[in-house]
Amino acid sequence: MNPTERSPEQPRERAGGAHAAASHGPITDGELTPLVVFVVATEPLAGAVAAELRDGIGDLAELRVVADTDEAVRSLASTAARPHAAASTPEPAGGDLPSTAPGGGGPSPTDEGVPSLEGDAGEPPAVPLLVLGSDVGRVDAAIGALDAVPELTSAATLLITDRHVHDDLADAVDRDRLDGIIAVPWTAGTLGGHARSQLARWLSYHRAGDPRSAQLVDERSRPLQLPDSALLRDLELSPTEVSTNLLAGIERVLGPRPRLRLPPGVRLTHQEVGLDAVFVILSGSVALERSTRVGDLRLHHGSTGPVVGLLSLAQQRRAYFTARTTTDVELVHLTLEQLDRALRSEPEVVGAMAALSIRALADRLRRAEQLQVEKVELNRELDDERRRLAGALKELEQARLELVEQARFVTLGEMAAGIAHELNNPVSALRRAASYVGDDLERLLASHPDGEVAREAMITARDRPARTTARERAVRRELERALGDRQLAHRLLAAGVEDPVQARRLADRGEAALELAEAGSGLGGAVRNLDVASRRIAELVTSLRAYARPDGDPLEGVDVHAGLEDTLRLTAHRLGEIVVERNYGDLPTVRAHPGQLDQVWTNLLVNAAEALGGEGRIEIVTDAPDDEHVRVRIRDDGPGVEPEVLERVFEPRFTTKQGTVRYGLGLGLAIARRIVDHHGGGIAMVSSPGETVVTVTLPVAGPPDEEAA
Amino acid sequence: MRLSVLILEDERPVREALARDLAGFADVVRVEVAEDVPDAWQVVEELDVDGDRLALVLADHRLPGTSGVEFLVQLLDDPRTARARKVLVTGQADQQDTIRAVNEAGLDHYIAKPWDVDELTEVVRDQLTEHVTEHRLDPLPHLRVLDAARVMPLLRERGDR
Repeated sequence: MNPTERSPEQPRERAGGAHAAASHGPITDGELTPLVVFVVATEPLAGAVAAELRDGIGDLAELRVVADTDEAVRSLASTAARPHAAASTPEPAGGDLPSTAPGGGGPSPTDEGVPSLEGDAGEPPAVPLLVLGSDVGRVDAAIGALDAVPELTSAATLLITDRHVHDDLADAVDRDRLDGIIAVPWTAGTLGGHARSQLARWLSYHRAGDPRSAQLVDERSRPLQLPDSALLRDLELSPTEVSTNLLAGIERVLGPRPRLRLPPGVRLTHQEVGLDAVFVILSGSVALERSTRVGDLRLHHGSTGPVVGLLSLAQQRRAYFTARTTTDVELVHLTLEQLDRALRSEPEVVGAMAALSIRALADRLRRAEQLQVEKVELNRELDDERRRLAGALKELEQARLELVEQARFVTLGEMAAGIAHELNNPVSALRRAASYVGDDLERLLASHPDGEVAREAMITARDRPARTTARERAVRRELERALGDRQLAHRLLAAGVEDPVQARRLADRGEAALELAEAGSGLGGAVRNLDVASRRIAELVTSLRAYARPDGDPLEGVDVHAGLEDTLRLTAHRLGEIVVERNYGDLPTVRAHPGQLDQVWTNLLVNAAEALGGEGRIEIVTDAPDDEHVRVRIRDDGPGVEPEVLERVFEPRFTTKQGTVRYGLGLGLAIARRIVDHHGGGIAMVSSPGETVVTVTLPVAGPPDEEAA
Repeated sequence: MRLSVLILEDERPVREALARDLAGFADVVRVEVAEDVPDAWQVVEELDVDGDRLALVLADHRLPGTSGVEFLVQLLDDPRTARARKVLVTGQADQQDTIRAVNEAGLDHYIAKPWDVDELTEVVRDQLTEHVTEHRLDPLPHLRVLDAARVMPLLRERGDR
């Protein structure tokens, strides 16, 4: 920590500190945090270690030798606790801020048996180094116990061991809590040197700017943080510095090398082409490109490094990349022979070259690893995208099917409209003709001399109400009995005479009268059947027209019951033998698209009919739950819908029939829901075995207005 | 014993039209109509009581209650009706029904609505003739409604007796 303007209280500054006494305190430069180095070991190892450490770190840190981890923890706790007890302004334990003790730092005298920290400003000590003897037991256990104290967790840890194998430190390695392992016996001085280096490194990490770092120099007075070997030193320099060193070394051998200045876009190497030279880049940027199946890729730019061509020397001297300048570039060109000469005669060049190579490899490797990560990320994104696409495709397919289905209905609707239109005229003519034939026949027979018999028979036959075939046979049998003549009874019945008295009277009038009556009766029946049949056709045509009415704006005054009836008529062939029961309430007319509503009723009825399998009962109940809504409930007594199916029954394309798209449970209900939604209404299905009810509620006011026009 | 034709059709105008189209057979053949399957069985009952023989059934496919095809199948299980010829007269039997009528009811003929009178009478004459020859009935009382050429061998055979 930076010493501030505050006056040092205990200026026991000592330089070098090669021979510190065992128990003297650390250098405490007023505000500097006291440092404690622990040796956790038993004798005689403890003594040997302590002696080495004293040589290595002098009095930069207090040395505490303890026999086990408990003692270390206790020793630290007592000193660490003190400031809190004494200072009136609490400081965070282990805090590395300079203490701002009250009143200019009233010292709290200490006399509690830990002599090392006496008279300090109350700051807890920091522990930069732990030396652990292998005689304390399991390494993991020991380090784990020490880590219970926060101050110890950042300490560098050296293990001194006389064992050949350690299988008790996996956790320490895993947690990065082991900084060095030294075997017993060690070369004299190496342990001290180690401790010194660790201390220097610890200070540079944790106490940047601590003046004590300056005392940690090697025998050549260089800072201890810097490595000693040329290679490691060069690795710590910037690339430009190394290439400057390299060039200096080369020029010492070869003499000054000419600088080449190149504009952007010049290729220095060519992919797969032999290479007998390297380029030392002094300024500017070079990109490395490679042409591949998927086009020219720029693989390195920031990670090119200052020597181009170097790595190609390791690959049969074929350039793997095409190197291309991307800015103005200044460089030096070296042939293989020139490089060889420089390497042979100048160790500095070897170190610089190795450093550059390692660095270039490291940069490119990192770049490659980064690319790998990007690739994985891209793949994941691609996967997500693919999944989204697949989802979209599925939805699209469903939408398409729905559209096809709708188109089919539109086509059917158009065809129905066409047929209805075409049938309109003939059916009108038919109805009129039936009526004219009836009128004219009546007139004609009135003018006939014996026409009265025929006219009466005709009118009787025309107006005779329908009765069952069984009843007709009974009448016939009665007549047969009364007349005793089966053939005659048949003929009289055909002439429309049922009453035995009347029958006998007619029979008595002779064959001509009987024939006339037969003809009249036949005409009457025919006229009636013409009328009934043509009326049915006319009704069908009306239904078709309503069904096929093209969609435009919603119509006012739509009669829901009429739509239901039309639909029932048109789906009669789908309903087969199903009994349809109507319980119609009083409904107001609604504003709606009648054709679309008919589609809803069609789909719901057909769905119910399919659920019933052609036999059963459908009940249609209508009512108005309030003034603003009408409600249609379609109930069937079919087997019901499974609960898990029920949830999805309005989803498009859902079907319970072996995955085949069926009209009813396929799109039918989905289309029904869409139409009802579109009308601003609601549709729901409840189902249990034996009863399934679909409820459609529609607003009387009709579909909500499209966005403001 | 009279041969009998049963028309099973639920719609009155159609039923009446069929019956009238067969009026030409009525003096030789007993023509009965029924509007639904229960009534058709009633007719079978009455025929049996009168000692008449059901020779031909013309049934619509679409009926309330049991379908026409179903009725044709039922006929096979009753000795009084098992030998009757069976004709479907229908406007909208789908393929499934037709297949069933052919396979399970031994359907003899299919007449599509709207029918042609000549075709209808021809089919009835043909089916009655088949019935008579198949069961080797005496053709003489029914000759007027039969295909004379086809029953001739039968007549000779009987004459020889």
